[in-house]
Amino acid sequence: MENQTLQKLVQEDNELWSQLKAGDEKAFSILFKKYYGYLIQYGNSFLPFAEKVQDCVQDVFTDIWVYRHSLSDSVVVKAYLLSSVRKRIVRLQQRDRIFNKSTSMDSVTFLFDFSVEQQLISDELTAGKVKHLNKLLNDLSARQKEALYLRYHHGLSVDQIAGILNVNYQSASNLLHRALINIRKEWKGNLALIMILLANWI
Amino acid sequence: MKKRSQYREIEDFLEDESFRLWMRSKKDVDGWEEWTLEHPKRAKLVEEARLWLLAMKVPNDDLSQEEVDVALQNAWMKIEKRERESKMEIQLIQLWHTGWFRKIAAIFVIGLLSFYAYTKYFTAEQLYYDYSQIVKGLDEDGLLEQINNSNRPQIVTLSDGSSVLLQPKSKLSYPKVFTGNERKVYLSGEAFFEISKNPKKPFFVHANEIVTKVVGTSFRIKAYANQSDVEVLVRTGKVKVNSEKNVDKTSQKEIVLLPNQALRFMRKERTFDKITDITTEKSISNSVRSIEQLSFEFTDIPVSQIFKTIEQAYSVEVDFPVKKLENCHLTTSLSDQPLPEKLKIICKCIGNNTTYTMNGNQITISTKGCN
Repeated sequence: MENQTLQKLVQEDNELWSQLKAGDEKAFSILFKKYYGYLIQYGNSFLPFAEKVQDCVQDVFTDIWVYRHSLSDSVVVKAYLLSSVRKRIVRLQQRDRIFNKSTSMDSVTFLFDFSVEQQLISDELTAGKVKHLNKLLNDLSARQKEALYLRYHHGLSVDQIAGILNVNYQSASNLLHRALINIRKEWKGNLALIMILLANWI
Repeated sequence: MKKRSQYREIEDFLEDESFRLWMRSKKDVDGWEEWTLEHPKRAKLVEEARLWLLAMKVPNDDLSQEEVDVALQNAWMKIEKRERESKMEIQLIQLWHTGWFRKIAAIFVIGLLSFYAYTKYFTAEQLYYDYSQIVKGLDEDGLLEQINNSNRPQIVTLSDGSSVLLQPKSKLSYPKVFTGNERKVYLSGEAFFEISKNPKKPFFVHANEIVTKVVGTSFRIKAYANQSDVEVLVRTGKVKVNSEKNVDKTSQKEIVLLPNQALRFMRKERTFDKITDITTEKSISNSVRSIEQLSFEFTDIPVSQIFKTIEQAYSVEVDFPVKKLENCHLTTSLSDQPLPEKLKIICKCIGNNTTYTMNGNQITISTKGCN
């Protein structure tokens, strides 16, 4: 799917979606296989219990099939699935007494850390820069990281991210923009220092 | 969407699907490399965007095909279960919406309720089994009923020579003549029985829930319909106490009582409480009547004194020619005898064709004087 453009992908998903709504089991299976991995990964970034996450994702698909007649026509399937999994995990944590500390939508925390794409880095200078940038990224708040993850990994629109995080468009937009601005400011400031350090090291 | 020639911020590049693809998997579909080299300023932006993407790797913890297949199978199983459940729910709802089902359910519930109420009422009725039910259930004709509404004890003489001293507010039902192999009487309230000995015809007293069986002896039974217990107290001889067969079919307990032993039957719990020493039981020893305290052991006692004792014990009046019996003294033991027997023995001892007649509470002695 990596060599397909986003638009093509959305179109393909929409076709499968309407087939599923019409009761096509094959379309259901294709969608399941296509997104199961992504959803598990997303779910795992909230819950450290792999089995519970698997249950949640499977339940999301179960609900989709059981209530297929009342599903909306105009959805971005990927955003819909990610949102459903997140909601389910929030509900699970609310129900689960062990985790029952707060009850709002924000009660789940995105515990995910970005890593460094080592294979694509050939020189030490780039490696140092990327490492530093990666550290700054992982120091962001959980919500900012989640927004970045949804925006630049899953390619969701700001609108869809706002829907998933249960905030308005402006808040979601600010969340993303400020993350970038702050990091760039800090990064630029430290870049000179890094260069010196690296020069000494070499 | 902006054209890429207008990209001024790294966000613009980061958002571009095609750019991300080029950076991450080196697939340059849209000629990014050429386009970047066109402009040095542009190249700087592209380089920074590249660093961002390199620092934002999301690990590809890909699931195996097998794992995904298993998960899909699980999902189908869950779906099947859910559909079965919802189908059953729908069927139940449909069943509920059909009129006849609701009617039948209503009838069933009402039936169940009334059965419950009936059994509850029935057992409540059975809990206390007393005189009125016993007598009502008897089809024997010729039963006499003696009711003592006075405030003094009344003497009842039975056809076999036994005597019963009936206390106030008590009733006794008994046949005019005892027939068959048993002597049966029915008591409500309190009475002191002195039974004439006849081993071939055992004597039964039915009082509330218990039956007292004797051959020949004296004892008292207290069985008021409105009291929570039934008491049996033995003076002489031996009695056996059972619960009514109608009341207690399962456990036929038989309790044997000897002189100066007593028994208390708790009607609600249906339990027997045997009291081996009646002096320790205040409620029983306090209620001992004069007849049980008086001694009928006479040694050289004037006859007039003996008659006085009888008057006291049985609340009767004895009319006798005082002058003729002035100097008569008797030595005799009358403890274990019913009243008619006692009178008979006294008359025999006086001799000289002495006889007695009994009319209710009035006893008349006719004699010519003693030997």
